[in-house]
Amino acid sequence: MRQPVQELIERYQKNLYAAAFNICKNQMDAEDVVQETFVQYYTIKKEFENERHIRAWLLRVAINKAKNLSMTFWKKHKCSLEDYMETLEFTDTHSRDLFEEVMKLPEKYRIVIHLFYYEDYSIWEIASILKLSESNVKVRLSRGRTMLKNSLQEEWEDDE
Amino acid sequence: MTNKEKYKKAFSALEPHECSFQEVEQMAVLQKKTKMKIAAAMITGCVLLGGTGTAYAMNVGGIQRMVQIWMHGERTDAVMDVTNDGEGYSITWKDENGEEREVSGGGIAYEANGKQRPLTAEEYLEEWDSPEVEYLDDGSVWVYYRDQKIDITDKFDEDGICYVQVKDEKGPIYMTIKYQNGWGSNRKKYMDPKEMWG
Repeated sequence: MRQPVQELIERYQKNLYAAAFNICKNQMDAEDVVQETFVQYYTIKKEFENERHIRAWLLRVAINKAKNLSMTFWKKHKCSLEDYMETLEFTDTHSRDLFEEVMKLPEKYRIVIHLFYYEDYSIWEIASILKLSESNVKVRLSRGRTMLKNSLQEEWEDDE
Repeated sequence: MTNKEKYKKAFSALEPHECSFQEVEQMAVLQKKTKMKIAAAMITGCVLLGGTGTAYAMNVGGIQRMVQIWMHGERTDAVMDVTNDGEGYSITWKDENGEEREVSGGGIAYEANGKQRPLTAEEYLEEWDSPEVEYLDDGSVWVYYRDQKIDITDKFDEDGICYVQVKDEKGPIYMTIKYQNGWGSNRKKYMDPKEMWG
């Protein structure tokens, strides 16, 4: 099956942006990633099993594009995370603290945490999207949680 | 409130610039028309700043330079402009259909001490000088680098990894490519896919 790209943009651009930002830590790079991901969907001749498959594919492509971008030595855009965070409107200081602490995590923990807590994916699904083993995902999730618990203390529940 | 609710609330602050279908469509058309991306760009020897003055000219925005880029494995003349703030560049050239094309960008480099500075024109051009992996609609996969064009469609192993070499004047560039998952390169050896993709 295929879904019109217009519908996918409406439905998933915020998710793709959040996932890309989680890796790039840069607004413009993340926006580039979102656009390129939709371009790839638009141009690729690929049939999908269902909408969940499309969503996972879009996230995987966006994550890989963001990783590629962040692996390059040359940085196209230079707005710092701190400057960008000043423009974000958090509902309260706890949200800001949580966002900040997540951004401090190593990338390999950050993206697993994001897919689990933001996208509601299971360990198995995260393993499939990131092409990791389930045990690897579990370890990363656990370490990421521990780091968040250590830094956020009572603001983060112990949900191991 | 659960951790998931807290997390979603925190990340709801992220608001992307609206990505429109028109933008996506335009990008797709542009990519299709261009087909072969620029694989490398080189400054021609006679246009270094401070040269005779015949090959560069001051314009309103800054300095304009003649450069050569690789297109479809052949060198093509192009014009490089430095933007007003001195930190951005644009390169314009005519494609095989005589249509004017333009790419623009800029960037920063991180010094060893962590300080940032704008890319010089040479560095910006060097940024282009890297291999390109392209997935075509017919399912074939190609690596381009300068005048090298390699069909790697059937070179992926059972894990979807392909190892391929391209060359320039400094020697081989060892590329490790994961199907639809990006690539990395190294001057000395092939990068370990496990280190790159976990």
